[in-house]
Amino acid sequence: MSQEEDVDTYRSRLLESLSERSDRSNRDASDPIQVYVNERRVGELEGTGLGARLHVQCVDHIDMVYLRTEEGILLGGLTAPESGFRTDRVRLSSDTVELCVHNAGQGGSLSAVFIPAASVWSRAWKTLAGLADRLTVRGPEPALGYGMRAVVFAQALTAIAVVGLVADRMTIWTTSDRTSTPVLQTAALPMASIAGATRLEQQLDELARMQAKVEDVLGSQQKGMAQLHQAMAKLSSTQETLESNVLTVKEEKEEIEKRLETVSRETDHRPTRQIASRGRGEQEQLEAAIKNLTADNDRLSKEVVSLEEHNQALKTKLQATVMAASRSVDPGPERLLKMADSLQATQQQAPFLFWVTFSDGTSQESIDKWVHEIKGYKGALNEGWQEVRIVPPAVPPDRFLEQIKGDKIVKAARIGQ
Amino acid sequence: MGLTRMHHTLSKSHAMADRTTTVNRLEEVVSTSEEFDQIVLQALPILLDRATGYTKRFLRETGQWNDDIEHEKFALRWGSEYLERFRMCGRSEVPCRPLFLFDSLVAKQHSKPEPFCYHPDLLRPLGRFLDGLVARAVVSRDALIALYRHSYGWGPGEVIAVTGLNGLESQRIYKNFRRWRESGWQRTMKEMGLTNTELTELGNQQQRHRQRFNGEAERLIRVAQAHYRKSEPDHYPCLSRSQWADMFAQGYGCDYRIWHLALCLDCMQTAWGLGTGGSAAGEKPRLELQVRP
Ligand SMILES: [Zn+2]
Ligand SMILES: [Zn+2]
Repeated sequence: MSQEEDVDTYRSRLLESLSERSDRSNRDASDPIQVYVNERRVGELEGTGLGARLHVQCVDHIDMVYLRTEEGILLGGLTAPESGFRTDRVRLSSDTVELCVHNAGQGGSLSAVFIPAASVWSRAWKTLAGLADRLTVRGPEPALGYGMRAVVFAQALTAIAVVGLVADRMTIWTTSDRTSTPVLQTAALPMASIAGATRLEQQLDELARMQAKVEDVLGSQQKGMAQLHQAMAKLSSTQETLESNVLTVKEEKEEIEKRLETVSRETDHRPTRQIASRGRGEQEQLEAAIKNLTADNDRLSKEVVSLEEHNQALKTKLQATVMAASRSVDPGPERLLKMADSLQATQQQAPFLFWVTFSDGTSQESIDKWVHEIKGYKGALNEGWQEVRIVPPAVPPDRFLEQIKGDKIVKAARIGQ
Repeated sequence: MGLTRMHHTLSKSHAMADRTTTVNRLEEVVSTSEEFDQIVLQALPILLDRATGYTKRFLRETGQWNDDIEHEKFALRWGSEYLERFRMCGRSEVPCRPLFLFDSLVAKQHSKPEPFCYHPDLLRPLGRFLDGLVARAVVSRDALIALYRHSYGWGPGEVIAVTGLNGLESQRIYKNFRRWRESGWQRTMKEMGLTNTELTELGNQQQRHRQRFNGEAERLIRVAQAHYRKSEPDHYPCLSRSQWADMFAQGYGCDYRIWHLALCLDCMQTAWGLGTGGSAAGEKPRLELQVRP
């Protein structure tokens, strides 16, 4: 075998094993994931536990982060920024490891969190990520930091809200006027839009509140992350000093014992104990932080799930409406009436009745004008109470009565006689 | 005859045109990880040659080059190492121009104080075997545990006893041994370019001149261990006997023990007897190099 041939053979072998490496799915799920910073092993991540975490504080600047199997096969990696934060997700078949690197003047730090495929949180995340994909313009995903992700969340939610509003508006338009006479139907259209507007306003309120709540949770989630980050950094540095202190304290102890034989044992043990208890205190703080974060996560995922459900209901309504609309052949404004007709056939509903009294000295003319304004019809008159019939309002009766009472000429309003 | 030559020339120029197209694609912006994977997979030969070229140049400029097959193989080995890291990191760097990213990654590696373990003796079969073993131990836990086997001829039970591990950790050691036997050793030898002939020859040397072989192996493994036994400054340094004793007695620093004792002949001597099996073993362990897993 000539020398040149040997080098060529070696080159082909290397290329062969490089191509083989593209298959990364053969990780034994029960094995920990080895974490490397700048090609040096810094620790491992439990590859089965829920939310296993590793935090590393480095004296050096971090250039590269790698994840490997116990066999040494590269699972993924991340190039750290010159300074500042960078986060990325490394997908390992179905599981994920979230990496967060931070480079600063005094060195770098790394947080790695293992997110197993089956966790509620990651499922919720996937649902939301899917929604974000569908509803927002996709940006360069890996560049997204926590802040950016929150923006995507918010955008997705806004988009959901808009879809929801459109769906609801169409439902209101097509279902709120159900009376017996055709004349009334025509007249009822603007009425529906008033009632619809009120309802829309209400829903917008509700959605805004919901979104604010989710944003709140997201905010506390981020804060929690930052706090955890700090707590872990603090703990790991304490543990490092603790470890080295234990060694030096042990040696010093022997010295002290030799020299100060009269001093009580209590004094000798104090330094060790103090450091140990300090470590324990930090540990407890950290555990509390993790607990809080987990609770936040659960809350957020529940919130997201309920939002999803709400959105699903709205979408179903929208689909039904669109389908009904597409079945209707007539164009123009009559189309909506036709739709109302067909809906009416299946869902006959009685008009809404209520009683009002008017402020002293209100003229019959202004009473009639008011009734006309609310698109109502006068009924019986009983002991100063006027019966009025209208199309059922979009808001709950109590709220409707409150609105009526707000009118200048109305003295009182009630539903029953 | 003429036709064959013409055909040869034609296919050669065809290959060159393909190469140019691939290089051009590598210079363009890639926007998704999938696209990155695909383009890089197609360009593996080009990128390997490029990284190898850079490594050769670095060796020349630092006075570590020699025009021989050993140096060619050394440059190829590190070229492929860089390429593997690039494939992993690059996919999270999109959008990017793969070729420029690759160049900057290799440049970054070469700007480090000691990018690789270079020693002329480590380029010959025994040196390559040891360099490959120790280098692999740094990135693979299977190989790290296997170092005990190759250095002292121990099985899993002895490793567990010497390092003083508990039940849970023990299970992992058996697994590490099994995987190394099944595939790890083979892969490492392949990647170090050790042929079956060379491995057989190493085995023969060991049989014929046991003492000289182990003496030479000890000298070389010390070179490799000193290079690769780096972690964060002052994180896992060598310890005194009393410090090791403390760690064993209190049961902490499990990783420390496994990692450092595998990569440090001296500390193995220092800490000998502290694990459960040590007291019974008596004599301190000497390097007894095993070629096969
Ligand atoms: Zn951190
Ligand atoms: Zn040592």
